[in-house]
Amino acid sequence: MTRGLASVLLAVGAGCVFAVAAPGQTPDPVSAIKGFSDFQQIDLSRVLNGEVLSERGSLMDFPNGICAQTCYAMALPADQAAKHLQLWDPSPYPELKVFAFHAVHIPCELDDFQSLDFHNSQSPVRWLLSKTAATTPTRSDLNLTRDEAKQLSECMAQQSDGARVTHCWAKLLLARATTFQQKGLTGTLPYEVAGESVSPADQLRAMLREQLSISHEFLPVLKGIGLLGKDTTPSLTPFYYWTMFDADYHGTISLGAVYLLAVGDHYQVIDLEYYVNANYYTSATLYEVWPVQNHGQPAALVWRGDFFAAPTLRFTKGTDRIAYGVLMLQDIKKEIHCMQEEAKTRR
Amino acid sequence: MKTRCLAILAALAPVAALAANPMSVSEELDAVYSYVGDANTRGAGLSHGEIDEQSSDLKYVVSPQVNKDLLLRFGAEWQRFSFDVPDHAAMPRLLQQASGVLGFDYQVADQWLMRVECEPGIYGDFENINWRDFNAPLVIAGIYLADADLQWLLGIRVDVRCEYPVLPVAGVRWKFADQWTLNLMLPSPRLEYAVNDRLTLYTGGGVEAGTFATGETFGTEHGEPKLDGAIVDFFELRLDAGFSWKLTPSVTVEAEVGYMPYRWFDFSEPDIDFRSYNAPYGQLACHARF
Repeated sequence: MTRGLASVLLAVGAGCVFAVAAPGQTPDPVSAIKGFSDFQQIDLSRVLNGEVLSERGSLMDFPNGICAQTCYAMALPADQAAKHLQLWDPSPYPELKVFAFHAVHIPCELDDFQSLDFHNSQSPVRWLLSKTAATTPTRSDLNLTRDEAKQLSECMAQQSDGARVTHCWAKLLLARATTFQQKGLTGTLPYEVAGESVSPADQLRAMLREQLSISHEFLPVLKGIGLLGKDTTPSLTPFYYWTMFDADYHGTISLGAVYLLAVGDHYQVIDLEYYVNANYYTSATLYEVWPVQNHGQPAALVWRGDFFAAPTLRFTKGTDRIAYGVLMLQDIKKEIHCMQEEAKTRR
Repeated sequence: MKTRCLAILAALAPVAALAANPMSVSEELDAVYSYVGDANTRGAGLSHGEIDEQSSDLKYVVSPQVNKDLLLRFGAEWQRFSFDVPDHAAMPRLLQQASGVLGFDYQVADQWLMRVECEPGIYGDFENINWRDFNAPLVIAGIYLADADLQWLLGIRVDVRCEYPVLPVAGVRWKFADQWTLNLMLPSPRLEYAVNDRLTLYTGGGVEAGTFATGETFGTEHGEPKLDGAIVDFFELRLDAGFSWKLTPSVTVEAEVGYMPYRWFDFSEPDIDFRSYNAPYGQLACHARF
C-alpha cells in the first residue's frame, strides 16, 4: 500500500481528515515537539495522513557533524510504535541497501557474528574485502585502533578467503560489542590508524551539546545511556545489533544499540551506532513517540532527529553542504516510509 | 540510523564544516591554464595561417551562509585568451574578462537548489577601455537532486550583448556504477572513472565561450574600419582526456590533453567571422574549496 493511497483511505474512511490528540494528556504532543525541535508549524492532520515533515538541521560548529529532523505518524499505538522502532529490521527492504541485520545477544558471543557474509560478489562487499586485506598494523582506511589493525592484519595474513575474513571481523566485532555491553560508551575505543584519534562517543557528545533544546528534551534517555550527564554508566538495557550495508558503494559494518525509555505518557528511543568500521564515524537517531488518535484509532506521532558524524563533512561546505543535507533527508524519508508501511501491516 | 546517508558524501565531495554559528563562510578558488597549439585559421575570405592560443582563468568566490537555505556569493574572476595572430588579420590578439561575482544559492524546495550568479565587469581586448567594455552576463540555474547518484541541472544564461542573448543550460550528473560517473555538466562534460578515492580519470569535452568588445580603433588598425568597437562572440570546443588528483580533501589538481576541433570568432556587425580548426591542446587546473 502506498503512502498516498493510505492517506486517501484514512481520509475517506473517517469522513474527514481532522484528528486530535488523545484527551487528558499534557503537554500536547504538537506543542511539545514545537518546543524543542526546528518545526515551527506542524499540521497534525497532514502528518496523520502520511506526510513526513522534514527540516535540514541548523548550522553546527562541530565540523564533522550534520543533523536533520523529521516528524511523522505511525499507525500503531505509541508503546508498540516505540517497540517497533527499537527492534526494526531494515534488511528486507532492497531500497535501503542493507545486506544483513542481526540481533546481538547479552552477553554477546562469537556465534552472533558468524552470519557475516563476505562471499557476496557485490562491489561494496568487494570494497570492504580489499580494504580489510590492505590493512597493516600501522595503516588502514578502516576505523580501527592500532591493536585492532595489528590483529586484523595478522589474522588476514594467514588466509584471505571469505570465511577467513568473516572470522577475523567476527573476533574484532565481538571484542567491541563485549566492551560496550560491559562499559557502555566509556568503553568504546577510539579510531586511530587513519591518522588522528577519533572517539565516536566524543563525536556524539559534541553534536548533541550543540543542540541544547533537543539534548534537554532527551535528557532522561541520554543520561540513562551515559551519553550526557555525570554518570557515564548506562542504566538502560538496549537492543543490540550488528548490520552490514552499502554506504556509497562501500561495504560498511556497524555495531549499534537501541534504547527505549518511557517518559510519562510518551517514549524516547535512541539508536546509537557505537562502532562503524568505515566511511563515517558514528550516528545517533533520536525518536520521541507520542500517543495520538487518528480517526478514533490509537496512533503514534514521532519526532525523529538524526545526528551523523563523518570525516568528509569537514570538507563539505557551502552549497555542497546544503545538498548533502537535502540528500540525507531523502534517505531518512525512504527509511521512514518503509517503517510506516511495515507498521500498517502489524496493526 | 539503520540505513546510511553516506551515499551523498562521495557524490558531493569533489565540488567542496560549517565554521561558526550563526554564519559560516566557505571559499572557492579555481585556477586554470591551457595552451592550444597551432590551428589552421580562415576568415574574411583569407587564410591566416596557424594560430596558437594561451588561456588562463582565475576565479575566487567567498560564500557566507546567511541562514539554513541561503548562501550569498561574492568574488572576482579574471580570464584571458591570447592568440598569436598575424598582423594583417582582423582578429583580436587578446580577449579578457575582469569581473566581479555576485550571486546566491538558495534551496527553493525539498529537492531543488537554485543558483543565480551575475559577473559584472570588463569584457574586451583591454584597448581603450570604455563603457562599451562593460557587460554583466547572468546565469540562473536550478539543480534537481533526484538522489545521491542522479542530479539534473536546468537553467538559462543571459548575455544581452551575445548574438544569442538567452541560451538554455542543461546538464546531468549520473553515477551509474561504483566507479563510473557520467558528468554532463557544462562547461566540462565528462565521463569519469574513479580509480581510487584520490585519482579520477576522465574523458570528455570542454567549451570556452564569451562575448567581448574590441577597441575603438581595432578595425582601423586591421584594415576593417567597420570593426572599430565591434562586439565579438568567441566560442571554442575541446575534446580531452585527463585525470584529477585530490592532493588533500580540499585541493584537487587536474591535467588533461586533447584536441581542439573548432574555434570561432563571430563579429555580428558587420558579419565577419574567423574559424580555426584542429589543434592539440593541454591544460592544467587547480581547484580548492575551503
